[in-house]
Parts: sequence; structure tokens; C-alpha cells
Amino acid sequence: MTAGVDYLRAYETPRFAQLAPNLTAACFSLMKLMPARFMVDRAEASGRLEREGHIIETTSGTFGLAIALLAAVRGYGLTLVTASSLVDLKLKRRLEHLGAKVVAIDDPQGDGNQRGRLQYLQKTLQDNPDTYWPRQYDSPENRLAYARLADLVVRSLGRVDCLVGCVGTGGSLCGTGGFLREIFPDLRIIAVDTHRSMLFGQPVGRRMLRGLGNSVLPDNVRHEMIDDIHWVGALPAYAMAHGLFRDQGLFMGPTSGAAALVAAWFARKNPEASTLVIMPDEGHRHSDTAYNPEWLANLKDWPISIPGEPTSLERIRPAGETAWTRFPWNRQTLGSVLAEFDGSLREDR
Amino acid sequence: MTQRGTPRSGYQTNWSNTNNENIALPLKVGVGRAHAHHGEFLQGVFEGDDGRLYRGLVTLPLTSQESLATFWPDERDGIRTRPANRTKAARAAALTLEHIGIAGGGGELTIESPILIGHGYGSSTADVIASIRAVAAAAGVTLRQSTVARLAVTAEGASDAIAYSDQALLFAHREGRAIEHFGGEFPPLLVVGFRDGSGRPIDTLRMRRARYDSEEIGVFRVLRGLAYRSIKQQDPRLLGRVATMSALISQRHLPKASFSAVLDIARDHDACGVQVAHSGTLIGILLDAVAPGAAKRAAELAKKVGGVGFKGIHTFAVNAEARIIQ
Ligand SMILES: Cc1ncc(COP(=O)(O)O)c(C=O)c1O
Repeated sequence: MTAGVDYLRAYETPRFAQLAPNLTAACFSLMKLMPARFMVDRAEASGRLEREGHIIETTSGTFGLAIALLAAVRGYGLTLVTASSLVDLKLKRRLEHLGAKVVAIDDPQGDGNQRGRLQYLQKTLQDNPDTYWPRQYDSPENRLAYARLADLVVRSLGRVDCLVGCVGTGGSLCGTGGFLREIFPDLRIIAVDTHRSMLFGQPVGRRMLRGLGNSVLPDNVRHEMIDDIHWVGALPAYAMAHGLFRDQGLFMGPTSGAAALVAAWFARKNPEASTLVIMPDEGHRHSDTAYNPEWLANLKDWPISIPGEPTSLERIRPAGETAWTRFPWNRQTLGSVLAEFDGSLREDR
Repeated sequence: MTQRGTPRSGYQTNWSNTNNENIALPLKVGVGRAHAHHGEFLQGVFEGDDGRLYRGLVTLPLTSQESLATFWPDERDGIRTRPANRTKAARAAALTLEHIGIAGGGGELTIESPILIGHGYGSSTADVIASIRAVAAAAGVTLRQSTVARLAVTAEGASDAIAYSDQALLFAHREGRAIEHFGGEFPPLLVVGFRDGSGRPIDTLRMRRARYDSEEIGVFRVLRGLAYRSIKQQDPRLLGRVATMSALISQRHLPKASFSAVLDIARDHDACGVQVAHSGTLIGILLDAVAPGAAKRAAELAKKVGGVGFKGIHTFAVNAEARIIQ
């Protein structure tokens, strides 16, 4: 094992912050390094990834950054397929510094063109069959990697009664939650999504809060594990992230703000429950937006104060970027929740 | 112990250190002991510091039963054992002589042990470790625990963590070294132990190794973390949870017919958990030894498991001061 690999292992390790007597946050600098390293290790061990081999993935976000760090340190080639509407210039520059090739597929509709990206990826795989595709959306390894987080959590906290986390691919929440629930069967799992993400039955549309939510459904989202679902708009997420920085010195990204908002509310209402919240990334990548007063000043309805509690929904429906809503999911499948509403979601569109 | 033959005091042999300098060393009669265990709190596959996976276990010590080995050095070649044909113990003794640097030394090794063979009490490892300690004592040398463990594994292929006595650690039983020292003692427990009625004695080395899937390996990682926590916080409940989970996974590989019945009994008595010998027939119900009325509850439990037909019932303490009512 090289020194570089050891460093990345330390880099993927979260720090724990106590936000309240019964609420602890696992604060990551770059959470996606945990599944990325696990997947690359396994691909190396199983021979799916050979020395000086090539990796490809469709991502525009932090999983790409994590894979790019590993590829650079371990000497692999890397192609990341993104959409023209999603390119973040600063991130692209960082990825290219690491030697990654960033391919931006045309995206006339502005919805991320996941189909076009997958077509490009499939074609590349056909032409280069030795290329390794980690498949963070659907590979169970994305969830299995979080045994390491569950291990770190029980070492620091022992028993956990409630786990709160964002859902993008579902890997972190369903992976960590699955392992913790094996040991603590009564564990409550609360998912945090955002309005107009399709993961928990909302009609898709433009989303302002990025990193969580999705417009396609990854296999790693295990609906039947989820007790409660919350949808947090961008503005309360920003406000809470600012609060974490100001009050606790925690400089985290907006999705961490969304998760902390929900977790703090749950912990207040359940003072006996030991609650853990997962915070996936730091604020640096958001310094031009969520932490930039001028950018914020141009937002409709900004500033807002941190809301005290969510609006409980009886029917799943989208809401504005200032809203925070919740719905008791009760460990159902997506199909059974949708059937309950008897197509009424479609009418909302 | 019966005295058999007079050891030659002042018998001289050669001691060679790593520089191969010969130092005269008298061998005298040496005695070594090693205790039994009651299976494991945890057994599975774990990541080592090098990122590779190793089979490993956390042994549940049973200190009230010991193997006693006595080494009688003489001038004949090789190690002879009493009872005869204790080949692993003989090999361990020879390896120890070699390690200490006594070339061509020999002697008689007597082993006296009340530990039952083939149920998971670690009878064979106890004999091997007692023999290693007896030879070391004969040479007046104190071996490091890690050395004892390594010699034991070389002698018998796989070993348990008895070389580390009652220290809490995760031990790679095929490599003979620690994967993780938990850095403390086990939390205070009372164990009501017995044998699964369906169980025949098992030849551990002939057993097929369990093949664990990725999910189970992930669970093992978390159980290792929880074992660490239970030792750090001296929390018997958490260690009970570790043991129960490990036993449940073991059920998929070496099922014990009565296990679910035992789980129900444990639950009814508000026990911390249930542990098993992962390559044996032993089952133990774990109780918090410092909870009020623990000894009385253990006695009730022992009566209950006796009532449903379990054999070899025996209550013992781990790191606890409780008076045990047998
Ligand atoms: C920066 C970042 N990465 C990843 C995720 C989602 O994690 P996962 O893909 O494991 O569901 C989030 C969730 O909020 C996030 O904010």
C-alpha cells in the first residue's frame, strides 16, 4: 500500500461533531471517497481493474472527484461523462489537473441528459471492454462500502436509535442504515430529499439543491428501509448550513445543512433517542453560491430564518424552495406508496 | 501431580541467541499452564492493517479449567509425550526448544488436562500452549505472548487466542497474531454454558471453512467496532449483541439445532446475548454480572436449560466478582 493510498483512507474518514446532547454528526470532507475506494479496491482484487487500466463513470459531482483522486494516485486512466448543463468549471479544472478526461454531452433540455450520457458510456465500454465502470447508482458495493462508517459510528457512539441522511444514489443512507440496523433492529432511518426529485414519488422538475435527489431511480435506494422522508428546499438548507458554521464552526455543504435541519428537529422531539446525521461534504465547493452573500441576495425570498418544523404532507406533492415537508414512509416500497395515491401524483404535474 | 523420574539438575545445554553465540544454559523441570475457552464472542473475516482480509476471532476465556504440562529434559533426542502421541504438543515443545536456541534438546512432556475434547473448549490449544510454556519455564525464559501464539499456530495450523490469556483482542487464528488489541478487559459477565444436544464432537481442523459473503464481511466489520466499544465502555449488553450476531451468522455455516430455542430462553431472562463455539457444540447465555440479582438469575437460567435437556451445564464468570451458584 502506498503512502498516497493511506492518505486517501484518512481523507475519507469523517470527524464526529456533537450538535446536541443526543445528536452527533459524521462530518465528511469528501464522503464519496469511501465508496470509491471500496469499489476500486474490490475491482483490483477481483481483476476487473488491471494495472494501468481505465475507469469510466457518469458523474458531474463528488463521486467523480473521489474516483479522480484514486485514479491519479494509483495510476489509472479516467473518463468522466457529464452533461453540458451540469459542468462546474472549477470542479472540471480540478478533475483535469488530476488527469481525468471530462466529456460533456450536449444537453438541450437542461435535465442532465442521463440517457445520452449512458449511451456514450455504453459505446465506450463496447469499444474498450477492459474499462472498469464502478456503477455507483446500482452496484451494491456503493452500500457495502459504508460498513466502514457504521464501524466508526459504533466505536464512537455505541448504540444508535436514529439515522438521518441525504439520498442521492442511496448508497450512504441505505448502506450505513442497513449495517446499523442489523445490530440495532429498532433503528429509525430518516431520508432527506429535495422537492421535485423523483426518488420518493414526486414528479421531477427543476431542483435548486444539488448533490441529493435524483431524476432517475438508482437501485441503491432501498425504500423499504425508510421510516420517514423529508423534502428540504434550497433556502432552508442554506440557512441551516450557515447556522452550523456560525454556531458550531462546521463549514459544510448545503446538503449537510438539509440533513442537519431534519436531524436537529428529530433530536429535539426525541430527547431520549441517540441520533446520528451524515454530512457528505464541506462548504468550499459552494463558496461562490451558498456561502456568497451577493449570489444569495439575488435569490427570491432570501434571507429566511431557519424553520422550526416541517409541514406534514398527507399526499406527496412538490413545494417551493423555501419549504420543508415530510411524509411518514413507513418502510413501504415506492410502488405501494404510489399505488396508495392512485395516480393522483400525476395530476399534480 | 505425580513425580515421575528425577530430573537432572544442572544439565547443561547450549543457548544460542540471534548472533549464534553459545551461552551455557541449564535446563530444569519446567511447568506450564493454559486455560480453556468457551468458544468465541465473535468469529469471522476481518481487514488487517495491510488491507487484506484475515479469518479472526475473539475468544471467550474459561479460566477455571486448565491444561498442565510438565517438561522433563533429558539427554535423549526428541520429545516423548504422556499420554502418548500428543503430536501437536510434542511439535510445539520442539519448536519452542528451537526458538530458544537449544539445538537437539529432548525430553518428556506430560500433559494433564480435564478439558473435554472436541466440543470447542480449546483442549488442543490449551495443551499446546501449556507445553510451550513448560519448555520456556524449563529454560528459565519468559516468552512474549505474541511468540507463544505464533509457535502455537506453527505447531497446530490454527489456534485460538489463549496465548493472550484473558486479554480482549481480535486474533488471526491461522496466522497466529493479533489483528486488533481492544486495549482493556472484557466487561463483567456471567456465562451459563452448556452443549447443544444434537452435537457430536467436532474435529476442528477437518471442518470446512465458512465462506462468508460481502454482506457478512461488512457486518463483521461493524461487530468488531462494537466489540471495541463494549470493552472501552465495559458494557456487557453491547458485547452480548456482538456474540448473538456472530452466532446468528454461524448458524448459516455450522447450524446448532437448538439455537433458536436458546435465543428465546435468553430473551425471556433478559440476557445480554448468546455466544457459541463456532467450531464446536458449546452455547453460552451471557448475563450482566453487575446487574442486581445476577447470580440468582444465572442459577434460574441454568435450571431452565437443564429442564429442557441440555447437557454439561456450567456457570462461570468473566472479569466479575460474583459468587456463582452452580
Ligand atoms: C455532496 C453530496 N454527495 C452525495 C450525496 C448523496 O449520497 P448518496 O449518493 O450516498 O445517496 C449527497 C447527499 O446529500 C451530497 O450532498
